[in-house]
Amino acid sequence: MSEQTEAATPGESADASGLLDRWDGLRERESFSIAGAIAFVVVFPMIFTNLPAYNGYMSLVELIYIWAIFAIGFDLLLGYTGLLSFGHAVFWGGSAYAAGLFSANVSGEPLLIVLVAMVTAIVLALIIGILSLRRGGIYFAILTLAFGQMMYFIALGPLGGITGGEDGFTGVTVDPLLGALELGTGFAGVLGTLLHDIGYVLFAGFFVLAVAAAVRIVRSPYGAIFQAIAENEQRVRFLGLNVWRYKLAAFVISGAFAGVAGGLHTIHAQYVAVGSLFWITSGDIVIITVLGGIGSIFGPVTGTIAFLYVENIVSGEIAFWLLVLGALFVTVVWLFPAGIWGIVTGIRSTVREQLLGDDS
Amino acid sequence: MLLETKGLTKRFGELTAVDEVNLQIQEGDSLSVIGPNGAGKSTTVNLITGLLNPTEGKVLYRGEDITGQEPHEIVQQGLSKSFQTASIFPDLTVERNAVVASLGAEHGSFSLNFLRRLGNYDDVLERAEQTMRDMGLYEQRHVEAKSLPYGDKRRLEMALALASDPDLLFLDEPTAGMSPDETDDTVDLIERIKEERGVTIVLIEHDMEIIFRVSDRIAVLNRGAKIADGTPDEIQGDPDVQEAYLGGVEI
Repeated sequence: MSEQTEAATPGESADASGLLDRWDGLRERESFSIAGAIAFVVVFPMIFTNLPAYNGYMSLVELIYIWAIFAIGFDLLLGYTGLLSFGHAVFWGGSAYAAGLFSANVSGEPLLIVLVAMVTAIVLALIIGILSLRRGGIYFAILTLAFGQMMYFIALGPLGGITGGEDGFTGVTVDPLLGALELGTGFAGVLGTLLHDIGYVLFAGFFVLAVAAAVRIVRSPYGAIFQAIAENEQRVRFLGLNVWRYKLAAFVISGAFAGVAGGLHTIHAQYVAVGSLFWITSGDIVIITVLGGIGSIFGPVTGTIAFLYVENIVSGEIAFWLLVLGALFVTVVWLFPAGIWGIVTGIRSTVREQLLGDDS
Repeated sequence: MLLETKGLTKRFGELTAVDEVNLQIQEGDSLSVIGPNGAGKSTTVNLITGLLNPTEGKVLYRGEDITGQEPHEIVQQGLSKSFQTASIFPDLTVERNAVVASLGAEHGSFSLNFLRRLGNYDDVLERAEQTMRDMGLYEQRHVEAKSLPYGDKRRLEMALALASDPDLLFLDEPTAGMSPDETDDTVDLIERIKEERGVTIVLIEHDMEIIFRVSDRIAVLNRGAKIADGTPDEIQGDPDVQEAYLGGVEI
């Protein structure tokens, strides 16, 4: 209550400009988020690689950025628009295959590979979105799952000659970035400590870009309309907005993020596994996003870190690592429905309330 | 003629919910639709605003056939609807509610502006602020809509419907569940909207006092069919109407 009166008084004096001031404040926070993401990619490896049982390899850190891009995009759909897709492996795996085939047959330029992967995912998302979004709720989830599994079996069987079938696609050839910068080339001195090598700059750079794009989308008219659709779809329709198109836009945007991530994963792994199209991949991204906390941008990032840590590090120490993951998921969802990031924001607002309480 | 329905009919299986209803609404000539429970009042409005598709019949808006169009297309043409239950965005602030409504009004039904900052849309923010001020909700703009008192929620609901500056506004029992004081305020508000904004209002109501205060014409529905249509004085003396209500309501 005290917080509300606090907020209302300065707004009163500012009068007409009050609204704009508020939005200016938000705009400032936008650049704040991007600066935060840049600081994160510099500091994160130093902390993460020193966690218990970590063997010190950078590859996992890069993998976290790639999955985080996937998760951020997925949350734009699940957390903001309120649509649960159970077939996002299509965009991740489909774009990964497109990236692999493109690298083997056309060009190995990393930026072009990512572009091709993104465009592939956008086209797939348009088609599957148009077909699936006609139904809501559980039917939408099942339809996306069905399309996902269809793609999996198509890649496994009829297209086996191109995709490598069960063995996956092994012909990935990645050229140096912009024709000159070998991804494995390390930096010297301070730059080496902070940014490691060209490959790291590529993956971390795309991660920062993804955060920037997501923050911008959330603070654009789309962000407001997505949230409104999640809360009361019929009302949005009766405000004169074409809900169906906005949902499709959310689906395609989310697919585009998955496409960038899928392309980067092909570059990173130099291989495409058929499992990238399997429904378990779709499930993983749901778990990652919910674990981290839906309806935020850094929530999915937190979820990715926790998930990949358990999957890759804990699994080396404990044979029943899936049980650990399950226990972690159940505990978080049960005790903190807003996810791991929700714990952080919860603490933050408690501290703020305490401070405000002391003031007055 | 602002709005006209011709032989509007809706059947759900065996049940005829709306039976060949003809309504005429002139600009500035506010209409009340009354009738006993289950008379088909809400269904009629839902047929006009696009929530339901009529089985037969036509809806003409400014002479143009809008039958079977999507709700967002109909809203974009200047028809707006306020729901019987406060249909708002409960977890968003009052301001955010108004902003979403203003987006629908300023931007058309869809726009590819997902990389533009909402904060740069001065027209949208101004409209949102104006709407909140008009409806006396500006002081509460940072409050989550779900924590508003009931009367304020209904006012926010009406604000959402009004943000698009409609020419024709459907109000579905705007005072249902309100205290006498809140009802009084709401009726004042409706009269003000009529006068200041020149909105033509179609009101669905039970409360006769409100109906006589607000409407220029009254249409009476019973069992899906229109049984009378005229000025409040004409309706008061109509024997069919007396019959339909069987003394349930004194008119």
